[in-house]
Amino acid sequence: MSAPVPAPPVSGYRSPHARGGAGFGRLLHAEWTKLRTVRRWGYALIGAVVLTVLVALLAAGGSEIKGGGPSGPTLGPNGRPVSDGFRFVHQPLTGDGTVTVRVDSLVAQKNQRPNGREGSAAPWAKAGLIMKASTLPGSTYAAALLTHSHGVRFQYDFTHDVAGSDAPPDRPRWLRLTRAGDVVTAYESADGVRWDKIGATEAPDLPETVHVGMFVASPMAYNFERAFGSTGVDGTFTLSTGTFRDFSVDGRTEGPPRVTDVGAQGSGPGASGDGDAPTSPAGVTDAQGNSSSESGGVHTIVSTGDIAPMEADVDLTQQGLSGAVIGLIPLAALGVLFITAEFRRGMIATTFTASPRRGRVLAAKAVVLGGTTFVAGAVAAAVAFVVSQPLLRGKGHRPPVYPELTLADGSVLRAVSGTALVLALVAVLALAVGALVRNTAASVTVIVVLLVLPQILVAGLPLGAARLVVQATPAAGFAVQRTIEDFPQVESACLPEDGCYPQGAGAGLAVLCVYVAVALGLAVWQLRRRRA
Amino acid sequence: MDATIEVTDLRKRFGPAVAVDDLSFTARPGQVTGFVGPNGAGKSTTMRILLGLDAADHGQALVGGRAYRSLRTPLYEVGALLDAAAVHPGRSGRDHLRWLAYSHGLSTRRVDELLELVGLSSAGRRRAGGYSLGMRQRLGIAAALLGDPPVLVFDEPVNGLDPEGVRWIRGFLRSLAAEGRTVLISSHLMSELEDSADHLIVIGRGRLIADTSVAELLAAASGERVAVRTAERTQAMAALTDEGATVAATGRDTLIVTGLPAQQVVRVLGTHEIAFSEVAAHRASLEEAYMELTRGAAEFETANKDGEVSR
Amino acid sequence: MSAGPAQAGARPGSVTAEAGRARRHACRAEFAKSASLHSTWWLLLAVAGLTVVLGAAAVGTVDTDQCRTPSSCHEDTVKLSLTGVWVGQTAVAVFGVLAVAGEYGTGTMRVTLAAMPDRTRVVAAKASVVAALTAVSALLAVAGSVAVGRVLLSDAGFTRANGYEPLSLADGATARAAFGSVVYLMLVALLSVGLAFVVRDTAGAIGGVLGLLYAFPVAASLVSDDAWKEWLTRLAPASAGLAVQSTRDLDKLAIAPWPGLGVLSLYAAGALVLGGFVLCRRDA
Repeated sequence: MSAPVPAPPVSGYRSPHARGGAGFGRLLHAEWTKLRTVRRWGYALIGAVVLTVLVALLAAGGSEIKGGGPSGPTLGPNGRPVSDGFRFVHQPLTGDGTVTVRVDSLVAQKNQRPNGREGSAAPWAKAGLIMKASTLPGSTYAAALLTHSHGVRFQYDFTHDVAGSDAPPDRPRWLRLTRAGDVVTAYESADGVRWDKIGATEAPDLPETVHVGMFVASPMAYNFERAFGSTGVDGTFTLSTGTFRDFSVDGRTEGPPRVTDVGAQGSGPGASGDGDAPTSPAGVTDAQGNSSSESGGVHTIVSTGDIAPMEADVDLTQQGLSGAVIGLIPLAALGVLFITAEFRRGMIATTFTASPRRGRVLAAKAVVLGGTTFVAGAVAAAVAFVVSQPLLRGKGHRPPVYPELTLADGSVLRAVSGTALVLALVAVLALAVGALVRNTAASVTVIVVLLVLPQILVAGLPLGAARLVVQATPAAGFAVQRTIEDFPQVESACLPEDGCYPQGAGAGLAVLCVYVAVALGLAVWQLRRRRA
Repeated sequence: MDATIEVTDLRKRFGPAVAVDDLSFTARPGQVTGFVGPNGAGKSTTMRILLGLDAADHGQALVGGRAYRSLRTPLYEVGALLDAAAVHPGRSGRDHLRWLAYSHGLSTRRVDELLELVGLSSAGRRRAGGYSLGMRQRLGIAAALLGDPPVLVFDEPVNGLDPEGVRWIRGFLRSLAAEGRTVLISSHLMSELEDSADHLIVIGRGRLIADTSVAELLAAASGERVAVRTAERTQAMAALTDEGATVAATGRDTLIVTGLPAQQVVRVLGTHEIAFSEVAAHRASLEEAYMELTRGAAEFETANKDGEVSR
Repeated sequence: MSAGPAQAGARPGSVTAEAGRARRHACRAEFAKSASLHSTWWLLLAVAGLTVVLGAAAVGTVDTDQCRTPSSCHEDTVKLSLTGVWVGQTAVAVFGVLAVAGEYGTGTMRVTLAAMPDRTRVVAAKASVVAALTAVSALLAVAGSVAVGRVLLSDAGFTRANGYEPLSLADGATARAAFGSVVYLMLVALLSVGLAFVVRDTAGAIGGVLGLLYAFPVAASLVSDDAWKEWLTRLAPASAGLAVQSTRDLDKLAIAPWPGLGVLSLYAAGALVLGGFVLCRRDA
């Protein structure tokens, strides 16, 4: 039936309008227009802010410290709370000098468990040499020491820790500290002949006369046990025994070595006129079980305690930002709807006829959604932080144990912007899941299960599984909310249900980013392959 | 660019169902090309492939010699209306056009121009959820025209329009073609295309049935038939049959005569002194021609909701 | 609504029979609607599958070695085996929400209301059918979890020798926990249906249900004050409702098993009543 068609008189249409391109910036503008022109989506953003703030207020309101919290913690040279308690066999040293000792062994006592099974030893039990401004707790110091399971270390002023060799605690090790002006240098040796430098530090706060000597400290040991459907922490005092030989001080010193229990009862500030703690005679065992003895040049010191920074048990910043876990629900719904609403109405066909490159469309959506939710998340996090801090302080979280923080503090700023970033990434993850699943309800549920359920389940899981959950699910991203500095030289009871993430902030965020990247990749692949 | 739509050996199947089967046709500039077939004949699938939404199993559908998905600024080159309901109900019609316009750097002024053109100026700021089907249809047409493209592809544009709207769109399509644009419109009702299409592509079950101009199709379907209106029907039938014609009564006072030219009919009636009020050459409607063509080709499995798409 | 009081009063004897028939028809229609959707069967399968898998995962991580002595674990093995309900309920929520909001999304609700103008009956029929279908998959989910838990737990040292009876539905407390979990899932389905009738929008309804179920427990884990924790647990539909899974140390619970389920029932009933009210009052 095909017949020749008479040629039309016109040769094609030319638009008289001026035309621009359709680059990625234009695509962003289009997607931004889509996002801001649906009123419900604006409500979702507001809802996220409101929920985040409300849950933060609830969490803050329900976190009273009974009895006003720990009173009068020891403060280190930089004003932060520290643990500073140990048995110290010391002599004064005026001006430059060197102190040397051979640590024969460090025996860390394992804590006892009721069933007779042996518990774990404190891995950071330590024995070695210390050079300290005074015997008052919190004074500045530098120490070379042998640990139970972390080899030889050079530590100073509580927060600093330099690793030396991996020497085991049951073999003799020589240690040496040298002071030359303001510089303290630490050395170690396997034979007392060839010396290796561990590290050095400027110590301008050390007075002309310092106390040098041997010490042993043995921090708490933790056992994690399961009972009543959750993980319990059992922290016990430990005593460790250090055996020293050939202790020598090369420099201006005087008198025989004296013994002080730094940080013990009665050794607090103001207990003694000259700023030093009272000394106890050698060989006496005190209430804590500390003792020391000397026979034939061999010093034996048994002591508990620690010389280390003290970690706060509550992270006020994290507490203030905790509402984000719930605030993410409306954002997840928004992220999912940003694409499933188009599938549902068939509008995706209009979108793809206007922009046939589907990967770019998803990228533009991700950028617009991520940017918008980041801003909403930042507002939510900042407001939640600001309103929760006074409430938390009113509930007993006061300095110096709980430092007074403001938005301008670096760690707070990082946590707040990190929270905003996590919320934005969650929204983008929701977008990608929505593009893959195409069903609104199922997609929202997947996101909520991945991010919120872990927070509920960790409390009932054994420690290993709970740690795995907060490390491997997208919820790992919330590690950025933690501002408490984790010092490797302190063993702490890191329980996921208390908001502790075994990994760092960066690693947690990276896990979330991997989820987002994989989901986006799959979504692009599916969008290209499947019918729109 | 030469704004021709070329479909060559196109084939697409969804599972066991063949939606488009070796389809080839061309739609040229300056014409309104009607794309007709019963529900589920493969019209929408062909259009979706043309617009890069679905991939063809075989063959190609090109616009101006290029695959749609290779176009970088498609709104300037092809305007499309696929599914008028495809608007987010929470967004106003104007906002719907705005995001589309912004994707190609077009201004809000252009959006308002088009709202004016399709008669949605006042409704444009209301949420699209409250629009009638006709209003959505107009919104879809405005969206297709945003980039002022030389090629327009409309899937069932007349659906849901009121009589006034139908008249408007017919004239509008003609004027678009008169400007030299290529206009491809699909319909499952031939009558909708009667006054607007220049050329027709008729398909059934995914296959091409006819590729012809409207005039030719009508001529072929009309044949040599004459309609007679007379009060003396019985006498007229007898007289005409005697002259060798085939006569069929179609009404109380109407007859269709085959085998005698109109002039001859008038002469026979005059000789027998039979009074008549009308004698005219019978002109078949496009609908009749189409029924003739598609008889047997109709796909009756249209009961399922998305039959048009999935068949 | 079209049946006026005069008509109803004319033949009082047949009214109840007729109403019963109408109710049956409404339920059959709702069942046909649900059963003809692939998503229904996938979701019901997901309820059972997710519950059993997460339950197995939770049981699999626990071992008596993690306790001081095997008998000092005080592990609630029944509750542990039923942990999967925490994730299975999400599929139930999706099912309940989609059964209603899905109809609004596609416009089927208008057809439904045209066929059944008595809107209260629509809510009742939908709620009954969704709850009944949920019950079937919940039974599978709970039975599967208990069976898997029984096998895994004895491998992990929770044996009779250590003071743990093997899981058995013949045990009263275990049966209560298992049956209670089925009821819990049905109530979650009803809560979802009710909320979806109120909100009408898929995303809003699912967000609301998940928020209700998850926000309280998360908030409870964030506060350190025991009194606050206790109250949050009592008020939370999920935490209070799942108290029914506990079989040990019942005196330590914030809320007892059956009253806990009662709290959830109040939420579900409230949502359904509100949903019915909204449906009757607003234009479809």
